[in-house]
Amino acid sequence: MTFKNLYIDHERSSEAEEWVKEELAEQEERFAQIEAAMEALAPTREKWYQEFFDRLLTNGFNLDGDDKMPIPESDLPVKPADRKDQVVWKYGVDSDDTPRNGKEG
Amino acid sequence: MARPHIEPFCDRDNHFKPMRLLGFGTGMHYKMLSMDTDTGACSMTVQFDGGYKRTPGFSWSEYEFIVIEGELKVGDRTCRKGHYFYVPAGYALPEISSDQGCLVLYMYNTGEPSHEEATEHHPSAQTQLYHDVDSYMDIPWAAGNVAKPSVASGCMIKLLNYNPNSFAMTFLYCMTPNFYQDNISYHDCAEESYHLWGTSWMMQFGDVPTGGYFWRPAYINHGAFASEYGCIALGRVDSKLFNHFHYNPWSTPVENAERSEARLLARDPLLYHWAFSKDHNHPHSPKDFEMFMPRRGDENGHDTEHKSDGHRHDHWHGHHHHDDHSPHSHDHHHDH
Repeated sequence: MTFKNLYIDHERSSEAEEWVKEELAEQEERFAQIEAAMEALAPTREKWYQEFFDRLLTNGFNLDGDDKMPIPESDLPVKPADRKDQVVWKYGVDSDDTPRNGKEG
Repeated sequence: MARPHIEPFCDRDNHFKPMRLLGFGTGMHYKMLSMDTDTGACSMTVQFDGGYKRTPGFSWSEYEFIVIEGELKVGDRTCRKGHYFYVPAGYALPEISSDQGCLVLYMYNTGEPSHEEATEHHPSAQTQLYHDVDSYMDIPWAAGNVAKPSVASGCMIKLLNYNPNSFAMTFLYCMTPNFYQDNISYHDCAEESYHLWGTSWMMQFGDVPTGGYFWRPAYINHGAFASEYGCIALGRVDSKLFNHFHYNPWSTPVENAERSEARLLARDPLLYHWAFSKDHNHPHSPKDFEMFMPRRGDENGHDTEHKSDGHRHDHWHGHHHHDDHSPHSHDHHHDH
């Protein structure tokens, strides 16, 4: 984080070191549970996506604040055939193996 | 690797654990929400038992906290729900206690929780940055359009903390009943939220109820948004909040980041070309001449460089020392 970046150097105690290690191990489990739950939600989410698209066609897309613009059906996105519906990305761009400009995988 | 994506999470699904780190005493229990894998910085829901007391003292990390329920005494002051504190590293708070017990959201920003018993501030503490406020009673709600393009009306904020360098913010936000916003958003910054009360919904993650929480790294899709009965939450971003809106639920973080880059090129082409030119590429960070230029008031060969990576002594908003002999750790190297 870069809130105000205020930190005073000190030596972390072995007790604190152990505590952090245990918490990080539990966080790994917590993340795995979240990831599994979000994968299980995919069929429901697919319906939510379709309802979202229906609202874009009729009520419109929130461009800025309450300014809305209906989206023509021809402009709605198509799900790439080789892509699963993923909403949890452990470390954001660092956990995304999407090819970058076709150069990286 | 910083903090992983924790979304959605609800602390009501977990039990409190006794805090066993030294200095915090007995009667403090916590539920971990997220933790930085490098630094131990973390956010926790904390329960103080009735009769809890903690000695005066400071933390090596800066931290923030807000009372969720109950009453917390800080020195002689009784602080009720909605009272927010920003506490710089090394700033000694007086004794804290709770007669009847209370629930508090704690956020340690730059290191693991620590408490050093002290009645005086650490010499390196930037004491002038300390502030606290009763956010429920003493700050009015403002329109949520702090960023442009903005959220829909019905999402309002109260700004609690702001970093003029990085534009990082801590704020309360609320959604009115029947709030909705039909777009997908992502940001160039990490975002964190804790639901103090009420439920909101996001198309990717479903309902986030009271006690609901997320830590979301940059460039991850979230939204559309709705709240049937309204909600109030504490939110934070770690740098400038810009709403990149779109309507493709299948875009990835890398694609979103590249879109941000493309939009930067469209908006600030000269800056983009300068920043990405090989001739001017700085391996660590670009140089801000205001932080390096010789100044008439420079004292005794003092190093005027301003650098900050969260682990070094930092003059974030100017040049201030409590002690001319305070330790410094300006050990970056800028290769050009």
